[in-house]
Amino acid sequence: MGRLFRFKAFLFLICAAAHLFCNSNAYSSSSVSSSSTTMHTNNWAVLVCTSRFWFNYRHMANTLSLYRTVKRLGIPDERIILMLADDMACNPRNKYPAQVFNNENHRLNLYGDNVEVDYRGYEVTVENFLRVLTGRHEAAVPRSKRLLSDEGSHILLYMTGHGGDEFLKFQDNEELQSHDLADAVKQMKEKQRFKELLIMVDTCQAATLFSQLHSPGVLAIGSSKKGENSYSHHLDTDVGVSVVDRFTFYTLAFFEKLNMYDNASLSSLFGSYNPNMLMSTSYFRTDLYQRWLEEVPVTDFFGSVMETIHTVSAYRAFSGKNSDEDRIKLSSDQSVGLEKRRTLVSSNVQDQINDSNTKDQLGVFEYLWYTILNKAEKIEDADILVNYGLAIILPLVAVFTWLSH
Amino acid sequence: MADFSGSPENRPSEISETSDRSQNSSADFDPCTMRKTKPGLKRLFLTLTVLFSFFLGAPFLLKSIEIYRSPLPFRDIDSLSDSVGSSPLFFPCHFQTIFVGFDNLDAYELGSSIRDEMRKLTEHPVCGACSGSNYTVSVTVESASGCARNYNAESSCMWRCGAIGELDFDFGSGSDDDGVDEFLGSVLGSCEGLRKVYSVVVVNRGGEIRAVVGKYRHGWIVGRVLGERMDELVARVAETFVKVFVNGGKESGSIHGEFMPVGSDGRIILSFNLLNADPTDWIYDWDFRRIDEILFTPVIKALGPVANISVESQVLYHTPKSSISYWDEKLDSYIFSTKDLPFFVNSNEWHLDTSTAAGGRSKILQFVLYIPSAKECPLLLQLPNGEISVTNAFISPMWGGVAVWNPPGCLRDSGSKPPARHTISPQDLQKVFEIFMGQLRQLFGLKSDSLYVGASGTTKLLASEKGFTEWELDVLSRQHACFNLVSCATTLGSLSRLVQSLPRMIIMDEIGKQVKFSLEAAKLTQNNASLGIYDASASPQDKQDR
Repeated sequence: MGRLFRFKAFLFLICAAAHLFCNSNAYSSSSVSSSSTTMHTNNWAVLVCTSRFWFNYRHMANTLSLYRTVKRLGIPDERIILMLADDMACNPRNKYPAQVFNNENHRLNLYGDNVEVDYRGYEVTVENFLRVLTGRHEAAVPRSKRLLSDEGSHILLYMTGHGGDEFLKFQDNEELQSHDLADAVKQMKEKQRFKELLIMVDTCQAATLFSQLHSPGVLAIGSSKKGENSYSHHLDTDVGVSVVDRFTFYTLAFFEKLNMYDNASLSSLFGSYNPNMLMSTSYFRTDLYQRWLEEVPVTDFFGSVMETIHTVSAYRAFSGKNSDEDRIKLSSDQSVGLEKRRTLVSSNVQDQINDSNTKDQLGVFEYLWYTILNKAEKIEDADILVNYGLAIILPLVAVFTWLSH
Repeated sequence: MADFSGSPENRPSEISETSDRSQNSSADFDPCTMRKTKPGLKRLFLTLTVLFSFFLGAPFLLKSIEIYRSPLPFRDIDSLSDSVGSSPLFFPCHFQTIFVGFDNLDAYELGSSIRDEMRKLTEHPVCGACSGSNYTVSVTVESASGCARNYNAESSCMWRCGAIGELDFDFGSGSDDDGVDEFLGSVLGSCEGLRKVYSVVVVNRGGEIRAVVGKYRHGWIVGRVLGERMDELVARVAETFVKVFVNGGKESGSIHGEFMPVGSDGRIILSFNLLNADPTDWIYDWDFRRIDEILFTPVIKALGPVANISVESQVLYHTPKSSISYWDEKLDSYIFSTKDLPFFVNSNEWHLDTSTAAGGRSKILQFVLYIPSAKECPLLLQLPNGEISVTNAFISPMWGGVAVWNPPGCLRDSGSKPPARHTISPQDLQKVFEIFMGQLRQLFGLKSDSLYVGASGTTKLLASEKGFTEWELDVLSRQHACFNLVSCATTLGSLSRLVQSLPRMIIMDEIGKQVKFSLEAAKLTQNNASLGIYDASASPQDKQDR
């Protein structure tokens, strides 16, 4: 027994050593290919609300407020992915149906016009969220549900809901963990799906969610540090629930003063958060981000940028083709139409000719079977046929029982 | 358990021998369950048999619980990444120069000086350019005393001596550049096949020096050149070769991803949109089908090797722009400036991305023809230097282009009559589509105008009905081939790193097959590139993201 045990231990050691060698080979060849400096060509926004139930009204209002802000600053609907886990506007407990407010003065209806929700209700899952980020969808997923960013895109990722130490709760039954998010961001970087990424998280202990990030070009800001809660701003006694969170409230207060043409910097945004008013410490992570925050305008993430180049001249190669060609074209169009009609007619004739040919070739019974099959194929409404068949059965049964007497 | 290996006959003798000694222990000694002797070889043998049968079956057990990983060719992927990273894709190019009407010129000397100039201009070759070592420059000098070449005349591609004498119309005036181009094309274009040769014909005749590049793969420089200005001429020829034929007329030869608007499945969808800002003023329509047949079908066919293009169009109403314009008294029109251009596209009201044919991975380029409302008519674009733009149009890379067309006269139907429906006249529509053609060229990184301004002078570039001249298509094919190959290598490399770092991830057979196809396509690209076959090597790889 002693010999056997020693033999097995020796085998195990050999296997472990081989495994280690293989892994080290794999890791040694991991070199990130650096891309040349690309131009910033477009902005995308992914806004996620992960909470359901009526008492989480404020998370929906947070997300919709940010949606309205980025739309006002210029990002179009086709470049916003809005994920709302529940429907507050049409919730039966909503006293103001089809209206969502983020302030008790009810001045602004966030659900008023032109809200395009891409993922709603139970479609907001961790799997779908990660699929949106990495771009791995089934072939049938429509374009409006995909993040079609490229290597010149700046992406704003805003998440709100209930969170904790290194996780974010989705739909009250699953979690997104910090390493999941870090892996997804790493995959995005490998596939060059973004140039820069700004992650804003408004949950309890938000800063822990991006503790595992290590891809370059990522900027992250959370509403609270580890061990701290993020609080709601105020309670709306009319609607009956809290309507906005503090971090988002102060973010919106900053953006309401801006319009499309402004160039306030990100450092002024980050500096506008006052820990006393927030009742938590907003923490931002800039070690992965190369640019100075004072030089980055907020519209780099929250607004729409279109690099534009003036078209100096037209390409005049076609100025030989004029009305002569047009006239010829017109007449040829008409003749094409005639030809089309002629071919249609002839194909009908062709079918009939085929039928008569087959009649000669086959025998009578085969021809009968053939015609029955053709007719059966041509019947469009099979239900009526079945009904007729069933109706015929009854008299047949009656006849045969009478005959068998 | 008791070991009943021995036959019962042996037992009584043993027991009888020890029966006296073990009288005391006979009470608690049960021969059925206990034994007195040490287990011998028999037990060892049985244990080993069981163990051995377990070991025999262990491989089958392990096989049944193993995670299926289709074997991926990691070494090949690594070698592809290394080869693409270390040696960028270069194509062999062939150039020829023909000097007509010069005396006392040495073909060999000219050839080597042209090569030197070209080498000076290509200090930093980029991917997709002509390879630094593998290009040939052949020179033919045709003078009154005969025809001298600096190479061995082996192929029919080369210049036929005396051909220029047949040309009796005027080279230098520029009134019939197309005719000259066709003539030179017929003379030079007798080579079919893979070898693409770029030619410049230098003719010593006439007055001022003019340089023109034609629609095929040749150009010409005409003028009276004196002996001491040969260096300038050589520099101009070299510049034409390097900057125009190899780099495509762009300033920097480097490849920017923002000028490769081809989707990852190799398709582009051109979406043409006619936007009526305020249909209560006027409503315009266009005959898109006819203009598409006339203008765009040859362009799409010409771009076949680079991308698979399809065209869609729509007409939209109630689509105001989101930037502001102001009234200018002097120009008697509404002005918007280049600072307003990033905010012009009002994506909230312009629902452009409604294509049902676009798959998830194709690229859509939007071409917008904007017709302003009566409150902003006429609407003109003012450039930073104060001039008014001739085209009233701009592009945004990777998105598309916008052109503003002001209805003639800006007349407004008065009263409460329903607005009249007009169709844009064919002449105006043709002008607009020429602007769109220029924008399409800009989106691919080429210039929309027809002049190249270089260090040695200005060269006129002839325009082609296919939208792109043949040498421009060569440039696009080369650069797209290079770009695709680089992205193929990086994707495969990151895939192999990911797979190797997750040893317990299942890899389906389909993935293995796709990876092998991609590797073969990449190797084929490299082979074709080294042979100089541009079209085949530009077809994009088809990578499935899983």
